Amino acid sequence: MEQKYRLNRLETTRMIGPMVDQHWKELRTAKERGEKVAWCSGPLFIFPYAMGMKCHFMAGYSAYCAGRGAGDQVLEVAEAEGELRETCSYHRMHMGMAAAIKKGIPIKEEVILPLPDLLIIGRLCPEMSHYAEALYRQMGIRVVGIDSPPPRRAEDVLPLEKYFENQIKEVLIPTMEEVCGKPFDYDRMSEILRILKETALLRNECWEYFKCKPSPWTLWDYGVSIAPVFYLMGKPEGIPYYQRLKEELAERAKNKIGAILPEEKYRIYWDGWLPWAFLGKFIRKFVPYGAVPLVGKYPWEFFPHPETIDPEDPLGTFVKQVYSNGGLARANAPEMSLPLLEKWIDEYSLDGLVMFSSKTCRMWNLGHPDIIKRIERSKGIPGVVIEGDMVDSQMISESQIETRLQALFEMIEARRS
Amino acid sequence: MASFVAGVDVGSLCTKTVILNSNGSIVSYNIIRSGSFYKGAAETSYTSALKKAGLQPDDIDYIVSTGYGRTRVPFRDVELTEIFCHARGAKKFFPEVQTIIDIGGQDSKVIHVNDNGDPIRFVMNDKCAAGTGRFLEVMAAGLGVELDEMSELASRAQKEVEVSSMCTVFAESEIISLLADECEKADIAAAIYRAIARRITGLVGQLGLKEKVVMTGGVAKSAGVVHALEERLNTRILVADEPQINGAYGAAQIALEKHLRHYCRSCKKS
Ligand code: SF4
Repeated sequence: MEQKYRLNRLETTRMIGPMVDQHWKELRTAKERGEKVAWCSGPLFIFPYAMGMKCHFMAGYSAYCAGRGAGDQVLEVAEAEGELRETCSYHRMHMGMAAAIKKGIPIKEEVILPLPDLLIIGRLCPEMSHYAEALYRQMGIRVVGIDSPPPRRAEDVLPLEKYFENQIKEVLIPTMEEVCGKPFDYDRMSEILRILKETALLRNECWEYFKCKPSPWTLWDYGVSIAPVFYLMGKPEGIPYYQRLKEELAERAKNKIGAILPEEKYRIYWDGWLPWAFLGKFIRKFVPYGAVPLVGKYPWEFFPHPETIDPEDPLGTFVKQVYSNGGLARANAPEMSLPLLEKWIDEYSLDGLVMFSSKTCRMWNLGHPDIIKRIERSKGIPGVVIEGDMVDSQMISESQIETRLQALFEMIEARRS
Repeated sequence: MASFVAGVDVGSLCTKTVILNSNGSIVSYNIIRSGSFYKGAAETSYTSALKKAGLQPDDIDYIVSTGYGRTRVPFRDVELTEIFCHARGAKKFFPEVQTIIDIGGQDSKVIHVNDNGDPIRFVMNDKCAAGTGRFLEVMAAGLGVELDEMSELASRAQKEVEVSSMCTVFAESEIISLLADECEKADIAAAIYRAIARRITGLVGQLGLKEKVVMTGGVAKSAGVVHALEERLNTRILVADEPQINGAYGAAQIALEKHLRHYCRSCKKS
C-alpha cells in the first residue's frame, strides 16, 4: 500500500455525545423523580415517550454500554447467569444488567438502568420473545409484545400494516394507559412526530451528500448521528444538530473535501447491523485502503420518507412509516430491498458490498450470499460476507475480517484494471 | 542479467516460499512450519529458498507476500490476500480452472475465478477450525496415527461409521468414543474425511460448482480428502504435484507481472 490514507473527521458529530449522555442520565435517574420507565425494542418507544415515560431502547442501550467499555463486563455477568453465548448479544446484555441489579453484582455504574415498569418488544424475532419471557419470568416485569413481520411481497404490506395497527390499538395503548393511570396522549405523540419530521427531513438532505464524489462523510458518521431520528425522537435539539451537520457537509462538498484523505478509492455499501461496539475498529480496517463505507439498508430504515409523516394523524401515520410509507419493517426482507440496493449502486456510485453477518442476530443476515450473487450478475460489482457481532468481542476474528475486506478491495481493483 | 521474483505465503500452520525466473518457471521452493513467530518463519523460508536456488537477496526483483501473516514479511514489496494468490496460482497450474477449493491450516475457502485468474467471488469458513488442516491434525492425533498415514489407512475402510460433529473438540471426543467402541481406525479415518467433505460441500453450495475444480492447500495432499470430496461433489478434482505451495506460487506469479509492468515502464522512460 503506497498511498497513506487518513480519516477526516467531522466537527459536528462531536455534538452528539452530550445529547446521548443526557438521555441516559435522565433515564438512570427517572425513578428518583417518580417517573415511570419503559424498556423498548423496535421503533415503539414513541408510545412511552408520548405518555411522558422515560424509555430505553434495546439496541441503543447495547451501543451505549459497549461504548462505555462495559460491554464485555455485562456479557460476562449474563454468561455466569447461564445465558448461552449463541443467544442474541442484546438479549444477553440486558439479562446481564438486570442480574447485576438484582444480585448487586458490581458493573460500571453509568450502565445500570432502572428496571422497567413495562417492557415493550417489537419486531418479534424468536430471541426477542425469549428475552421478554425471561424478564417476565425472572423479574415479574410486565410485557407487551407487538409483532411486525417483514412483508415478502407488495400485496402483504397492507394486511400486515393493519395487523400491526390493531395490536397497538387493542393491546399496547390500553396497557400503557393502565400502567400510567391516564389516557393516552395523542397530542404529545403529534408533537413528537412534528419534531421527528423536521429532523428526518434534514437528515435526508444530509444523506444526499453520500452521492458526492468524494463523499464528505461516512456511514459511521451517520451511525453516530442516528439517535435524533430514533431514540432521541421528539427532542428539539436534533433539529439544530442536523442543520449544523448539513452545513458542514455542504461546505465540504463545495470544496470537494472527502471523509477519507487525500482521496477516496473505494465506495462501499454496508449491509446489516452497524457494529456498534466496534465502529472505530472497523473504520480503521477501511481507511488504509482509501475505502469509505457509505449507505446501508439498516441505517436507512429509520423513517426514510419523513415527507409522508402527518402529525395530525399520529397513529395512522406511524403505522404507515413502518409499512407502506417506510422502511422499518420491510427493509430486512431481501425480496423487497433488492431493487433499492440496485438503485443505490447507481445513485451512490458504489464499488462493492460488505454484508455484515452478525453471529447472534440473524434478522439482518437474510439472503446475504444470494444477494451478492444477484448483484454481481446484475451490476457487476463484487461483495463479501464478514462475520462478527454488534457488541460481543468474542465473536470477532480480526484477521478474518481483514482478509475478507482486503480481498474485496483486490477484486474491485482487478475489475478496474 | 537474469531476473527473479518471489512469493512468500505465511500461513497459520506453514510458511511457503516460491522463487520464479523471468519465464515464470519455479527455480526453487520451500515449506516450513510457521510456529508462533511469523516474521522469523518468513525470513527462514525465504532464505532457504534463495539458498536452494543459489541466489542472493539482491537477485530478487520483486516479492509479494500473502497468507495469514502477510503483513509480517518486512522484505515484501506488496502484500495480497491468499484469495487472490490462490486464484492466480491455480489458474497458472490449470488454465481451465473455474472453482478452487483451498483448505489451509486454519481456514477453508471456495473461490470462483475468471479467465484472467482473478477471483470473482469467494466464501470462507467462519472463525472456527472445522474442516481445516488443523482439524485433520487433531483428528490424526486422536487416532494415534501420522497425518501422512491417514489416507492409506482410510483406503482400507470396510464399515461405515460416522463422525458427525465438525467442531474440532467435539469431533475429537467422538473419535475417542468410537475407539472405545472398538471401531477400526481405518473406518474412523474414512469417516473423518467424509465429515470434511460434507463441510466443504456446504461452502461449494454457497457459490455453486463450476467445473473444472482445483484443490489447493496442504490438505489437498491428503488423497483421502480429495477422494471423499470427489464422491460428494460428483466431479473430478485436479490437484497440482505440490498443492501446498499454490498460494506462494500465485504470489510469485503476481510479483512477476508487477515486476514486468514496472520494468516496461522504466524501459519506455529510458
Ligand atoms: S436477535 Fe436480532 S432482531 Fe432479535 S432481539 Fe436480537 S438483535 Fe434484535
